[in-house]
Amino acid sequence: MASLVPCPHCGSRPKEEFTIKGAALARPAPDADPDSWFHYVYLRENPRGAYEEYWHHTAGCRRWLIVCRDTVTHQVNTSQDAAAAKGQAA
Amino acid sequence: MPDLRALPALADRTPLVSHGIRLSPLPEGTVLQMIVGPDAPDQTANVERLANESGLAARPLSPGQWLLIGDKPTRRADMKHLLAALEPQASGIDQSHGRVRMRLEGPMAVKVLAKGTAVDLNQRAFPPGRSVATLIGHIAAHLTRHDVEDFEIAVLRGLAEACWIDLAGMCEEFV
Repeated sequence: MASLVPCPHCGSRPKEEFTIKGAALARPAPDADPDSWFHYVYLRENPRGAYEEYWHHTAGCRRWLIVCRDTVTHQVNTSQDAAAAKGQAA
Repeated sequence: MPDLRALPALADRTPLVSHGIRLSPLPEGTVLQMIVGPDAPDQTANVERLANESGLAARPLSPGQWLLIGDKPTRRADMKHLLAALEPQASGIDQSHGRVRMRLEGPMAVKVLAKGTAVDLNQRAFPPGRSVATLIGHIAAHLTRHDVEDFEIAVLRGLAEACWIDLAGMCEEFV
């Protein structure tokens, strides 16, 4: 697991300051079919390589981030504010 | 009516003083948290102006959030005005009861803090005047660097004593 995470707001911080939610997936529409929701809630890829996750900087800026890390090398490639990534005001 | 008296969280703590380090409680004056709405334009200038007008220091907490901090308590009427001053763009929350501040200063201050936090304390990365939110040990803290060897630490009230004890332990080798 990556131990230093580059927070776009706070700079490089240790993983202890963060809470990991899990894979950053696109949420289906509320009225999407049960299969899409089942997939969204229960099924996960387990990729070897780049993986995007939601991380919350709980003990820092308290922003949700999208952290892209490599599951093989543990290297964090990118991190960005989740709200900004969605095109909302940060 | 029971006799309720406000007691400072660190009331029974005497400053820890040596030639290398000094840890002291700060007065529980005013702590006001300002939060900007998700769609509001940047309020940095407005928050800083409001802080200046009211004799408080505006310290960034996270994007769109500040702590307005002062050593003296704010009167109820003034506080009411402050909380509503930037509505509807930003809202204020009185946290004077909720955050407790302490000061760590001296030539060994950086060495002491480095035992508890992973923030880069190098002057170039964390220059005087800057504030960061981080962990000190397991306690979430708001750290402000006033000068090269002068830090202010604000923690939630319930954790103030634990944070003090942790810091005192970190200071031990220099006392």
